[in-house]
Amino acid sequence: MNTPKDVRSMLIESATRLFSDNVDQKMLEAAKRDGWSERLWQTLEQAELPRVSVPEEAGGAGGTLSDLAAVLRVAGRFTAPAPLAETSMLAGWMLAASGLPVPRGALTAGPAGDDVVSARRNGSRWNVSGTLARLPWARIAKRLVLLAQADGDAAVVSIDPARCEIRPGRNLAHEPRDEVILDNVPAEEAAPAGTGVTRSALKLRGALARSLMMAGALERALELSVGYAQQRVQFGRKIGQFQAIQQELARFGGEVAAAVAAALSAAGAVERGGDVILAVASAKIRTAEAAREGALIAHQVHGAIGVTDEYALHHSTLRLWAWRDEYGNEAEWARALGGITQKRGADQFWPALTAN
Amino acid sequence: MFFENVDFSALELPAPALKLREEVRAFLREEVAAGALTPHLGHTEFDAEFTRKVASRGWIGMTWPKRYGGQERSYLDRFVVTEEMLAVAAPCAAHWVADRQTGPSLLRYGSEHLKQKYLPAIARGECCFALGMSEPNSGSDLASVRTRAERMPGGWRVTGQKVWTSWAHKAHAFFVLCRTAPDTGNRHEGLSQLIIELDAPGVTVRPIRFMNGHHHFNEVFLDNVYVPDDMVVGEIGRGWKQVTSELALERSGPERYMTIFPLLVELIRRLGQAADVRAQETVGRLTARLWTLRRMALAIALTLDPGAGGDSRATADLATEAALVKDMGTFYEREIIDAARLLAAVEPTPEATDTFERYLAETIVCSPVATIRGGTTEVLRTLIARRLLGSLK
Repeated sequence: MNTPKDVRSMLIESATRLFSDNVDQKMLEAAKRDGWSERLWQTLEQAELPRVSVPEEAGGAGGTLSDLAAVLRVAGRFTAPAPLAETSMLAGWMLAASGLPVPRGALTAGPAGDDVVSARRNGSRWNVSGTLARLPWARIAKRLVLLAQADGDAAVVSIDPARCEIRPGRNLAHEPRDEVILDNVPAEEAAPAGTGVTRSALKLRGALARSLMMAGALERALELSVGYAQQRVQFGRKIGQFQAIQQELARFGGEVAAAVAAALSAAGAVERGGDVILAVASAKIRTAEAAREGALIAHQVHGAIGVTDEYALHHSTLRLWAWRDEYGNEAEWARALGGITQKRGADQFWPALTAN
Repeated sequence: MFFENVDFSALELPAPALKLREEVRAFLREEVAAGALTPHLGHTEFDAEFTRKVASRGWIGMTWPKRYGGQERSYLDRFVVTEEMLAVAAPCAAHWVADRQTGPSLLRYGSEHLKQKYLPAIARGECCFALGMSEPNSGSDLASVRTRAERMPGGWRVTGQKVWTSWAHKAHAFFVLCRTAPDTGNRHEGLSQLIIELDAPGVTVRPIRFMNGHHHFNEVFLDNVYVPDDMVVGEIGRGWKQVTSELALERSGPERYMTIFPLLVELIRRLGQAADVRAQETVGRLTARLWTLRRMALAIALTLDPGAGGDSRATADLATEAALVKDMGTFYEREIIDAARLLAAVEPTPEATDTFERYLAETIVCSPVATIRGGTTEVLRTLIARRLLGSLK
């Protein structure tokens, strides 16, 4: 399943070109109002990017989870206002793993938290009820792919959002996080949840997706900060010439390198199997920590201009502050990981860390 | 910006390295069971006997060519051996400098004579090296060294003083950075590296005691020490370039974030199964940070590895990444100490019979060292910033 290195590099290169050509300040401002950029989505669809890692037999574009990881990092770097992760890494995975076709169009998936969704058989169809507090992108999605409880078994159901009551909400970065109320809504498609399709697996993949996107967003925040330090003149010198600024940028660089290393490594671990909780928990913890440090260094280096909505930095930092708390914040994942570590015991700590 | 050509998602240790890990673990288990190891944290200990045992397994100079006593194994294999040794705080001081820095430097710059003379002896665990870089007035600013070598028939006469020379009182020889030509403006020129044997006439070693009274640092006085031409490493006048490539090797390894690892293990043992939220959160966070640092160090080891598609000539190109890992690794170690202190709430006691409590006391006393040696935090960050910003005019 390994993708040769040069194929992955080409994928990254073409994704970078696509986002770089299509995402600009005007689009990002419009997306604050509209919730997303439909135009960008069409472009992504044409390039098959929302289908990377979804098996071809399910209607996907094939490729590995690490290929998708590489794309999500780039999407995060350009703060792409579109449900790329939800469509491919979450909904696409849930459908394909449960033997259902993956329709074209923007998809979203839930619930990853405590929300309860139940499905009841009604003849040949399934009726779905429940409330989801903050379903990402619900109001612009073509289908909501939900994990529902059906008589003690888990089922994956595909729902038309037009049949639901949707109360718009948003995260700090103006991305839709909507309340969705389903009252006996007939599912468009339904199947018993496939092997490994569980609430905790969904949350784990959501955390992985956000880690990758945060790694990318951190890279952009660092690029902007470095560029600003190279140009901004105060006290007769470029501010990047001051050691105080240099030391902070260096620290920022370390945080970004750690975030990228953690997020991509976790994707590889999930692709190969093994101790995925160690990998994904570590990635979500480390990228969230990097987001905390990095976003504030970026603003500090920029001074007052960085906090305005005319300057691009906030597209990255608002997302960092939103994404670090989605699918479990660093404290929540740390408790889970710490609990597992304690349970294994001191003598298994090192063997577990070095198992793969 | 960093790790440009590394694909972290594909980064994995190959099967031979995993097999080797089991061998090293078994060896160390036996040593511990036999009571041969009583680890102390803070400064790696010097144990010539242990070093000879490690050498007999072929684990010193393991990446070197066989004709110089090496095993021609990969850097990843070496990475595995190093991290296993660190995981139990094995006393590796008698061979680590030679294994990590002297050996690679000799392979890269040394004459055939020097390679034959030292490498096989190092690999056998019979020759221990120290580093003569810092001087009383040259700490971070290494290019300002004043130790002078004057031309003599067939060699050089060296006079000066080196400080912070770890284990010079037990080592056989040391690498000396000195000035072979006067500073005429470009201070990076005119520096050279020589090997001086520590029992040579004119060499005096005096202890500099650490603040807990322990002796591993020394000052070494060189008073008209005669050094024959064949003890010059590389080219006369090219010492700066040689030394800086050595520093990249010094900074990149697990020894920059694992020197107090056993304290973390003992902390976990002490916490037991206590379902304390703060304890779980702390352990989880420390685990995540270690996991991430290890992935970065692994990436450097892999890039150094010619066998794995890497290129050993890439050493200098990785200097910034190595600096990053060192900088973050040293601060990570401080976090472990604070976590241990705050969660266990015991008063640090160096003589404690409890292992955790003793480790805690040992690491607190040594805690300022990591962010100073091998490049201070400030110097490393300046280096990292230079990569980020380029040269600003």
